[in-house]
Amino acid sequence: MNNGKPKIGIYELTGCAGDALLIVDCEMELLDIFTAADIQSFAMAKSDNIDGELDVALVEGSVTTEKEISELKDIRERAKIVVAFGNCAAHGGIQARFDDKEWQENLKKVYGNQKFTHTKPVRSKPIDEFVKVDFYLPGCPVSKEQFLHFLTRMLKGNPPEHYPTPVCVTCKYNENDCLLNNGKLCLGPLTADGCGSVCPNHNIPCFGCWGPVENANAIAELHLLKEKGFSVEEIKKRMANFAGTKLADAIKQL
Amino acid sequence: MRIVKLKQDRLNSFLEAVSTDSELWGPVKKGADKHRFKIVDNPAEFDLDYTRTILPPKKIFLPPRFNMFKAMPTAYEEETMDPTKKILFGVHPCDIHGILIMDQFYTQTYNDPYYIRSRENTIILGHSCWPDEHCLCHSTGTDVANEGYDLFFTALNDEYLVWIGSSKGDDLVRIVPELFNEDLSDRDIQNYIRWREDRSKAFKAEINFKAMPDFMELKYRDAVWENLSHACLACGSCSNVCPTCTCYNVNDKPRLSENASDIARCWDACTLESYSEVAGGENFRESRSERLKLYYTHKLQAFISKYGKPACVGCGRCAATCPVGINVKTVAGALDGEEVDAFWSRYATEVTK
Ligand code: SF4
Ligand code: SF4
Ligand code: SF4
Ligand code: SF4
Repeated sequence: MNNGKPKIGIYELTGCAGDALLIVDCEMELLDIFTAADIQSFAMAKSDNIDGELDVALVEGSVTTEKEISELKDIRERAKIVVAFGNCAAHGGIQARFDDKEWQENLKKVYGNQKFTHTKPVRSKPIDEFVKVDFYLPGCPVSKEQFLHFLTRMLKGNPPEHYPTPVCVTCKYNENDCLLNNGKLCLGPLTADGCGSVCPNHNIPCFGCWGPVENANAIAELHLLKEKGFSVEEIKKRMANFAGTKLADAIKQL
Repeated sequence: MRIVKLKQDRLNSFLEAVSTDSELWGPVKKGADKHRFKIVDNPAEFDLDYTRTILPPKKIFLPPRFNMFKAMPTAYEEETMDPTKKILFGVHPCDIHGILIMDQFYTQTYNDPYYIRSRENTIILGHSCWPDEHCLCHSTGTDVANEGYDLFFTALNDEYLVWIGSSKGDDLVRIVPELFNEDLSDRDIQNYIRWREDRSKAFKAEINFKAMPDFMELKYRDAVWENLSHACLACGSCSNVCPTCTCYNVNDKPRLSENASDIARCWDACTLESYSEVAGGENFRESRSERLKLYYTHKLQAFISKYGKPACVGCGRCAATCPVGINVKTVAGALDGEEVDAFWSRYATEVTK
């Protein structure tokens, strides 16, 4: 603690930097955030970054190089609490949708026989494959509301809540006509809530960008969609998009 | 109870005249063929040719999410005391019965001030309807409302027969008495009786509700619960759309720049996994089958034993909503030993093969 303020570091591994950008985009609350917390490191927002002891590290992005593995391990050693911040860190992101074999093929396709000098690429993985993660805040990017609620609880010494319900809950709160019932491939029942059901609100089926909700009944929805006329191939492809490494293999076996 | 008549083409003049100092809510089209209750500026926006709204009227008394109060170290401040006067028009008998059940629930042991204040400020104007394939109110005895409304409009030919159900309703009629006609003829009564008989015959779905408490007891360990649970997506929709589901969750939302918290309330659903999770992470209804049993015990058994009527008002929303076909009709049917045509039963056959 510094003047009683928790020391926070915000780090980006491989991702689109959307989660870090979301923090910068909290314009109305930025002053409060910087007042309540001692932001030690935040490459997107400031230049005088210090890489020392931390109370909380928010880590965005998935691990895709050996260099990132050692960066991540260093963060873990310095931080009391590590948060997987955003879908890439929590589940691996879209880049984690390929299994080892597909990843090798893709790497070859893109880089050919090029030598890697700076660091060695690895198949994209969520950060908890390498270090212990204390809390998860999924989202693509994380939602402002969930982030501010999460951060406030952390700063006030309360453990953050986790969000165990699917998109359908908010979708019904918003009184949308169910797209799944209308024959659309909506992944709302399998996807963690938090986005405010923005896609169904605009008549677009959920494609799962928040990542899987705990204990999602994917096998039942697969059979349901099959009955509605979708091919198993197509359903699995959609499900795998944001499900990350942990579910990718499970989905293959469905 | 007094009954008056209103020409249908005078309805909007009436609604406009009585809603000058209130929000006017009623059924409005959503998408191609769905409806929802919505505030309108002009009653011409209403579509009265509807069967059921996606969400029941409970959303008007208790929105899905709202802040109850702001808590400070030694004091609290009420946030949402919604005193806006509302007129809710176009409520069908099943939903009126749903409101009566909520009235009972939210005042039985503790008074829920949020519900009561909002409810007291809302005038209920009922409207007649015609059943579709999901309507079960004939079986639940909720196809006609004898109480729970201020006015009830039954459409017959080009007129409405208007039942005056309360002094508030009577006051509304007195605002524009010139729109109404007091002379109810024998023919009007004959027409009404015939209409009611025709409507009773139009129900396509029936359930033996009387037998359900016993069936629930006898079949508490029946395979049907596992069969249902294979398909249930644990999405919570069946509770969210049910007019008699009253459960809610309360969360503390600390404010960043103040030593204070917003105490927020949101609808909860017993079919969600987190519903029965308690401090320390224990969950005493971890399996989907346990949770479905809870839902259907509430709808088909517990309420009947306690209040003598089912907690299901037969609105058919669960049937219109559950993506896998788990609803009061297919569950009661399965308990009754019927062959049920639903995704869940087809899937169960496949799983248990
Ligand atoms: S539209 Fe999608 S997210 Fe909404 S209730 Fe239906 S399945 Fe769930
Ligand atoms: S894809 Fe699904 S989880 Fe992502 S924003 Fe759309 S509705 Fe939300
Ligand atoms: S159980 Fe189904 S039919 Fe009965 S009141 Fe609830 S939503 Fe309506
Ligand atoms: S019974 Fe149907 S609506 Fe209810 S939680 Fe299960 S899948 Fe969702």
